[in-house]
Amino acid sequence: MKLQQNYFQIFDLPIRYEIDAGLLAQRYRALQREFHPDKFATRSSREQMLSMQYTTQINEANTTLCDPVLRATYLLKLAGVEVNPEQTTGDSDFLMQQLILRERLEEVRTAADSQTSLDRLSREARALFIEQQQEFGSTLAANALDKAQNTLHKLQFLAKLQRQIEQLEEDLLD
Amino acid sequence: MALLQISEPGQSPEPHRRKRALGIDLGTTNSLVAAVRNGSAEVLPSADGAAMLPSAVRYFADGIQVGAEARRTAVDDPQNTLLSIKRFMGRGLNDIKTANAQLPYRFAADSDTVPKIQTAGGRVTPIQVSAEILKVLAIRGRDTLGGEIDGTVITVPAYFDEAQRQATKDAATLAGLKVLRLLSEPTAAAVAYGLDRNADDHERADGKIIAVYDLGGGTFDITILRLSRGVFEVLSTNGDTALGGDDFDNAVADWIATQARLKDINAVTQRALLDSACAAKEALAIKHSVTLNHNGWQGQLDRPQLARLLDPLINKTLRACKRVLRDAALDTEAVDDVILVGGSTRALRVREQVEAFFGRPPHADIDPDQVVAIGAALQADILVGNRPREDLLLLDVIPLSLAIETMGGLTEKLIPRNTPIPVAKAQEFTTFKDGQTAMTIHVLQGERELVADCRSLARFELRGIPPMVAGAAHVRVTYQVDADGLLSVSAQEKSTGVTAEIVVKPSYGLNETDITQMLQDSYTHAKEDIAARTLREAQLEAERSLEALAAAINENGGELLSKNERATLQQAMETLRLACSAGNSTTIHQQVEALNALSEPFAARRMDLSIKRAMQGHSLDEFDH
Repeated sequence: MKLQQNYFQIFDLPIRYEIDAGLLAQRYRALQREFHPDKFATRSSREQMLSMQYTTQINEANTTLCDPVLRATYLLKLAGVEVNPEQTTGDSDFLMQQLILRERLEEVRTAADSQTSLDRLSREARALFIEQQQEFGSTLAANALDKAQNTLHKLQFLAKLQRQIEQLEEDLLD
Repeated sequence: MALLQISEPGQSPEPHRRKRALGIDLGTTNSLVAAVRNGSAEVLPSADGAAMLPSAVRYFADGIQVGAEARRTAVDDPQNTLLSIKRFMGRGLNDIKTANAQLPYRFAADSDTVPKIQTAGGRVTPIQVSAEILKVLAIRGRDTLGGEIDGTVITVPAYFDEAQRQATKDAATLAGLKVLRLLSEPTAAAVAYGLDRNADDHERADGKIIAVYDLGGGTFDITILRLSRGVFEVLSTNGDTALGGDDFDNAVADWIATQARLKDINAVTQRALLDSACAAKEALAIKHSVTLNHNGWQGQLDRPQLARLLDPLINKTLRACKRVLRDAALDTEAVDDVILVGGSTRALRVREQVEAFFGRPPHADIDPDQVVAIGAALQADILVGNRPREDLLLLDVIPLSLAIETMGGLTEKLIPRNTPIPVAKAQEFTTFKDGQTAMTIHVLQGERELVADCRSLARFELRGIPPMVAGAAHVRVTYQVDADGLLSVSAQEKSTGVTAEIVVKPSYGLNETDITQMLQDSYTHAKEDIAARTLREAQLEAERSLEALAAAINENGGELLSKNERATLQQAMETLRLACSAGNSTTIHQQVEALNALSEPFAARRMDLSIKRAMQGHSLDEFDH
């Protein structure tokens, strides 16, 4: 590993969207085992500094590759596409569907059996998310970068929806 | 006649001696110290056999008393006896007053940054009070292990924020301890149970999931860990720094007061009420009902009534359990082991409710009061280098998000909570007004959107930005969190390269000058020779550097160093050894620095070699499964 290696190379994984999460976790731990500051507790301050730089990089790489949206963004960046966070998808059917999903989320708050309707909504959102992940993987593999970027915007939408669902779950707990 | 041995000048006469390492649980109610002796970790008792040191410090005009006697006499002298000081660590006066309505303490008027408490022995900060407790434990460790301590691991609640961690580290510095690591209490508990040594988890590639339910005197923590082949990973953590066994006692004490129709409760009565509440709570773990007496009132407290009093508090802990599982994207079925920590988990009702929630009986074989100190001692023993082949590795996360203040009193999260540490994140910000030449960087910790709802950690200014139109400057702010969870922040304007940086000393922490001053005060107090102490510390540091480098040369010197490089390094090592015996601490520091600089390329080459080996190790690792 060199600090300037790309995140996939750090873990010796193929550069593509589909990822073997088990393998990533294993290699993450193998690298931590070598470089974590705890392994350098009695070493010189320079070595401790290097160890912190390496583990910081390993953690950043791992966090990026584990997260479906960050991983997609990172892959596009490797392909030379800087994703503009302000931009959004032009797919009006998708946007309409999002609007409906968010309305349903609002209705859950006042629903009689809010937990059950929230669970149903949560399952649907997850299914849509998986569908878009597959779409991203295949468009990227086909080097259809515009399409891939459009799919990334959809992933961002759905990730945000999932966060809102979680937030509501939290509110319902209290 | 046998010849007597004389060691080389400046060299340690016992180069391979076992290092002395301590694990300290600095608790709200009680503190403990443990160490590995004869291969197993055990709590070190005091001379009169007590394992726990009550975290109570009483100040007299001419001295200090720490421990059981101070706790026992607290009712007689509430203003000068500081109890549960951990609750004040890293907190401002306002926080303290809001969270604790009736405190017997007198706070000094200028308590705006670090709260200062007026005592018979002068004004003291929570950090100083904690340092007094640590000193007693350090002396106990030194006496029991028979010499200077090489390194210490101190535990903190996983939920402790940056300010609280920094305050803990400051207290350790003040007590003269070398801190190897601040370790989160739940992780320490999991280490103590040695769950990594069970054979069955080696068969599972994804490891096993452990929940640590820690209900101490003053804090509650719930932490989800994943253990996979010797690596403990904190997946998520949640809790409440203002909920603990003390609240359970308070709930029971309030009930007794209401039943006994007590009015105008003073500090002495309140203490007595709390004592009987605590006793009743513990007795009900064995008996079904207890009789209580107070001021001529006599009454019964039974298990169902106790459950009614405790359930609202226990439910608060269970809500945190739900949150922590959700953060880890797991459900209760995924949890393989549940560990109980903290004296308050002895309450039967707590055990019942935890078992019901997780659907499995929790581990409670190790004394819940000692389990954290024992785990800390095991980790200290590894970190200090006594077990070079040890496989155990602890990966931690930050418990609360780190954010920055943006326009309109809003926060922008730079590092979300539960991110593995160490971690660094950078983000660019820009100016708001035309010609703006300075920018305030306000560092915050917390989950909320508004600055007012988050904890302020530090505030500093980046000056000297050239005048530009609004939005033209590019200021890159970098947050770096180390493996102890401590933060440093830097800011740089990109076009000019103007920089500003600070190691975050939280607003409620102490600055270096404060610490130096306090150290000097404490030495004067203890009539210790500062110069001798400074020299001894410099020599210890030099010994560590020499030993580390000698080991490194021994291991990789042949393949990674040319003859010349090796000779130069050895020359520098010899110079440092001479400086050590000459006995000037400034020269020793300079030589240590010089040696470190000289050995840097070697250190980098060793890193690269490790990386190569780690990558080649992949295929081997994978065959193991």
